[in-house]
Amino acid sequence: MNTITRTWNVNEEERTVTFGGLHRLLDVLREDLGLTGVKEGCGEGECGACTVLINGDPVTSCIVSAVQVPEGAEILTVEGLEKLELGRRIQKAYMEKGSVQCGFCTPGMLMSSYALLSRNSRPTEQEIREAHAGNLCRCTGYEKIVDAVRAVADELEQGTRSTV
Amino acid sequence: MTQQSDGSFRIIGRSLTRSDAEDKVRGKAQYLDDLTMPGVWYADVVRAPVPCGKLLGLHFDESFDWTQVVTVKPEDIPGENIVDMTGLDMPFLAYDRIQYQGEPLALIAAPSKALAREAVNHVRAEVEELPAIQSIQEMVERHKTGLADSLRLLEKKEIRRGDAEGVLAGAGKVLEGEYWTGFQEQLYIEPQGMAAEPMESGGVYIRGSIQCPYYVAPELMKVLNLPLEKIRVEQTVTGGAFGGKEEFPTLPGGYCALLALKAGRPVKMVYDRHEDILFTTKRHPSWTRYRTALAEDGRIAAMEVDMILDGGAYTTISPVVLYRGILHAALGYRCENVTVRGFVYASNSFPCGAFRGFGAPQAYWGLESHVEDLAEQAGLGPDEFRLKNCLQEGDITPTGQHLLTSVGTPAVLKEALRRSDFHAKLARCDQGRPGAKSWYGIGVSFFAHGAGFTGDGEAKFGSRAAMELGRLSDGRPGLTLYASSTEMGQGAKTVLAQMAAEGAGLPFDRVFYPLPDTRVVPDSGPTVASRTTMVVGNILYHAGHKMKCLLEEAAAKHCFGGASVRLEGGRFFAEGVEARPFEEVAEVLLAQGEPLRTEHQFALPPHIRWDQERFVGDAYPAYSWACNVAEVEVDPLTLQIHLRKITAVYDVGRIINPTLAIGQLQGGLVQTIGYALMETMQVRKGLYDANRLQTYIIPTALDVPEMDLQFLEYSCDELAPGAKGLGEITMNGLAPAIGNAVRRATGCRLCAIPMRPEDLYATLYQGAKD
Amino acid sequence: MKTLEEIFCRQPETLNEALTLLSDEATRGVLLSGGTDLVVQWQAGAVPMPEQVIDLSAVPELKEISAQDGCLRIGACVTHAAIRNHALTREALPALVAACASIGARQIQSRGTLGGNVANASPAGDASPALLVADARVVTASLAGERCIPMNEFLLDYRKIDRHPDELILRFELTPCPQGGIERFCKIGTRGAQAISKVMGACRVVMHGKDIQHMALALGSVAATAIRLPETEKLLAGKTLCEELVDEAEACVLREVHPIADIRSTAEYRRWVSGRIVRGFLESL
Repeated sequence: MNTITRTWNVNEEERTVTFGGLHRLLDVLREDLGLTGVKEGCGEGECGACTVLINGDPVTSCIVSAVQVPEGAEILTVEGLEKLELGRRIQKAYMEKGSVQCGFCTPGMLMSSYALLSRNSRPTEQEIREAHAGNLCRCTGYEKIVDAVRAVADELEQGTRSTV
Repeated sequence: MTQQSDGSFRIIGRSLTRSDAEDKVRGKAQYLDDLTMPGVWYADVVRAPVPCGKLLGLHFDESFDWTQVVTVKPEDIPGENIVDMTGLDMPFLAYDRIQYQGEPLALIAAPSKALAREAVNHVRAEVEELPAIQSIQEMVERHKTGLADSLRLLEKKEIRRGDAEGVLAGAGKVLEGEYWTGFQEQLYIEPQGMAAEPMESGGVYIRGSIQCPYYVAPELMKVLNLPLEKIRVEQTVTGGAFGGKEEFPTLPGGYCALLALKAGRPVKMVYDRHEDILFTTKRHPSWTRYRTALAEDGRIAAMEVDMILDGGAYTTISPVVLYRGILHAALGYRCENVTVRGFVYASNSFPCGAFRGFGAPQAYWGLESHVEDLAEQAGLGPDEFRLKNCLQEGDITPTGQHLLTSVGTPAVLKEALRRSDFHAKLARCDQGRPGAKSWYGIGVSFFAHGAGFTGDGEAKFGSRAAMELGRLSDGRPGLTLYASSTEMGQGAKTVLAQMAAEGAGLPFDRVFYPLPDTRVVPDSGPTVASRTTMVVGNILYHAGHKMKCLLEEAAAKHCFGGASVRLEGGRFFAEGVEARPFEEVAEVLLAQGEPLRTEHQFALPPHIRWDQERFVGDAYPAYSWACNVAEVEVDPLTLQIHLRKITAVYDVGRIINPTLAIGQLQGGLVQTIGYALMETMQVRKGLYDANRLQTYIIPTALDVPEMDLQFLEYSCDELAPGAKGLGEITMNGLAPAIGNAVRRATGCRLCAIPMRPEDLYATLYQGAKD
Repeated sequence: MKTLEEIFCRQPETLNEALTLLSDEATRGVLLSGGTDLVVQWQAGAVPMPEQVIDLSAVPELKEISAQDGCLRIGACVTHAAIRNHALTREALPALVAACASIGARQIQSRGTLGGNVANASPAGDASPALLVADARVVTASLAGERCIPMNEFLLDYRKIDRHPDELILRFELTPCPQGGIERFCKIGTRGAQAISKVMGACRVVMHGKDIQHMALALGSVAATAIRLPETEKLLAGKTLCEELVDEAEACVLREVHPIADIRSTAEYRRWVSGRIVRGFLESL
């Protein structure tokens, strides 16, 4: 076993972590950084509950080895969303639209919403569904999640219009 | 009297934001595995290596340092080695007979998960393997061929009205159909997790992801050899359950409790997904056979149903699932002569357990597929036949229950048919037309779900709940509710608070529903059977009303000089003086130091009568009713089934929170898409073959069709504020609606779910039928 | 019991460094790219956890997409997402782009790589049929030099590839879809997304009116490796497309595939639907 030390920008803060070998990013986030909002639902990259963003890309942190996340990388987890305007909007829409039930898929789902909307503020219905297809939810039937993402997209479009 | 609900409520009927939503979107909600537990050890289980056999010995490898871990073997159990559920046939740790692969033989706790697993790997079970029963097909074969005695019968029950056998014997033509369903995994996204720690006062404190705090303690009393009050159980935030956390958590709760008591420290067990799929309960596989005779006028003259459930290795709650199954197996249509016979046999797989619908989805897969054939025989459309024969107000069910109140049929049926333009679209169905680019089909199903415990169970149980004036987490005065009902995602925390607030005349944000802890909450019953909103909501609504009276009395005395006071919308009103807000008055009342607490016990309407022995009478206090219409396109090229649209109309009584209600419905329907089209597992070599999320496939956001959903509110006025059951009926009818649509699309009836292109191929082109 | 933390991980930052590590048995380890298959297999116990790995994720030479000498070069560690989004691949390799878009969901596409998908050598590897119809060559490298192996020879057998222990996959070289050429990709899975395939297929066709000038067909999950369908290709090439020819082609496919039953599908359906996939391709032309 070898020990690796990395400094990342996690939720807009510099955090340094030390871990062994191929330790999972999920465990580093939950256990070493206390970010328990990141959930483990399957441990094999299928359910998406552990989704976080690395430099803006959504990944399932249960099958990413921390060692593969380069020095200086930006990591965003559910705990960081409220520091960001778009993150707050998405959180609010999830609350208002009834997109949350048991809440266990919610942190990962939110990250997929953020990954989509931060790069595409006017997604089609199909694009919304595709962007969340890697996040399993057993409670909502996905409809109200799609509603929330659509609502934020509409809001963003309105915002663009009003500033033009 | 049936009537559409009015809207004279202030808080009920509003789409208020869930009270747990904010914590959940911020990642602050603490599920079991998120809690800090200093000094915690991790539990693991030594499991039986064969599905059926005799345990000859457990060998603990001497090369392993056993002082690093704590073990519990059968002989270490302080009490009786038994799980105290129905049947009393399940040992807590198997010690002689092995009835399923993975059955617990010994428990181990260690400072790390890896060490616990390593220790488990150093235990070897010596067994003599015996022949196992591993499929419902095998079970049904033996049942049909007179070899039922070779099976372990866990329960049987019969419903009998009129003389179905006699009528069928004299009938010119008897229509017969056999229908099959398989296992289904609940697949809550938060895996099972429990923790236990010894209490200083003696006894054990158990926490975890559970539906029914009051199930755990009584079921573990015998094993732990502790009195009830020494077993404290508290729910942690629960990430979905669907029945999967109803009776099952008693097992890991017990593993942790035994280990914690022996180790003298906290012990937790959080399942990984693989383990969770392999070693937790599933929906019961089923077989139903319908034999029906029609009268000349297209009415149903007689119906005989046989239902078999695969119960898995032990009885657990299978009898109750069977009861619900047979009570729904012929529930939908007028018929004077009905016999329903139900059997649960044991197999050598993990005990099957609770899952949303609880026997009813299996029953309706049979009934609503069969009714499609009856309609054809009667020369009627599937819509016409259902409209002609469906139960309506004043009709009598197979158990002899008169349907007198809040009967939303035929309204749900008519509305769904109208909204979906069913009749016109029926003519467009392709029936496997050669040369078509796509085969279109539409199908309908009509079904019910009894809300609450069977018969007068609710009266016997006598659920209680309470509330007390105090300070909420924001430091301001408010009511805290005390009940054992759990929030598991379905919205109970919000909906129960809405009903309590309505009863009390207070704003929603002044009422708080905490996670139940058996140390402080009365037993409002388990969170099961679509009973929580109807029964516990009713209790809290009434307790709220009592609280309102109490507050008015106290306010009159301490704040209004004895004048007559009325509390409404969070303000106290009295003749001739200015209204005063609740919080201002409550501060005065709290300063008095007198506890203001109310409690209420559930009372069934007294006319409900039930004979549990003969299965005659009022089977449920109220029924929800629904109609599902499914539209599919089958690709003639690949036989893939594409679900295009669902139209669903539901009467679930009064809607407490429309957004949450629709969310329940959407979620239940999508779970049923999985049941109908994707989710399948078989027992192979003792274990489920689909045992990971790579192989057990559930719907994603891309598998959801257009949905047109509508509630019709036939309020249950006997049980104010009038809600009936919602959670489970969402799963009862979509599978047969899809099956009926597939039949109209392809001309091919599939008798088993899930319906896969492989099955269509086998039926259409291989002539095989399985 | 071994855990992921205990695996010794080396992280070369240049190709030469990686090849040097591979050349020495003492430092040689299991090659790790995106990890989306390997890490899952280790954790599931399907494959024992290795003592040491060489993580290729920091080697820049393996992450390039470029056009050179009339062929497209895709580095072994290029992610599915990159292939989906890159202008060169979108233009020249529509079937491969569609295949990459069907692999897992976004989260997997951002990590999983083309080299990993091929090296994993699952018959259900989504990219392989599309690579086969693009006449892909696999370029491997070791300190001794490079080898260029046709894709169909590189896939040796079930979970076996023609990689020497001191080699890594450097890149794939693909022939772009010619002007006027058509590519199709089809995946039969259990659900709309993120499903491991029951059967999948890809084709590359050049038509002149109704005449078939070039026909490449490949299927996955119907044999021990993804395969081309030489007999069916031969039957079709140079012919004029008509209904009878489609019938013949469908029948020919059934003779060329030998699928097995597993948890995802039956052998009978797989065989039948293989023919139907090819029929679907032809009918869409």
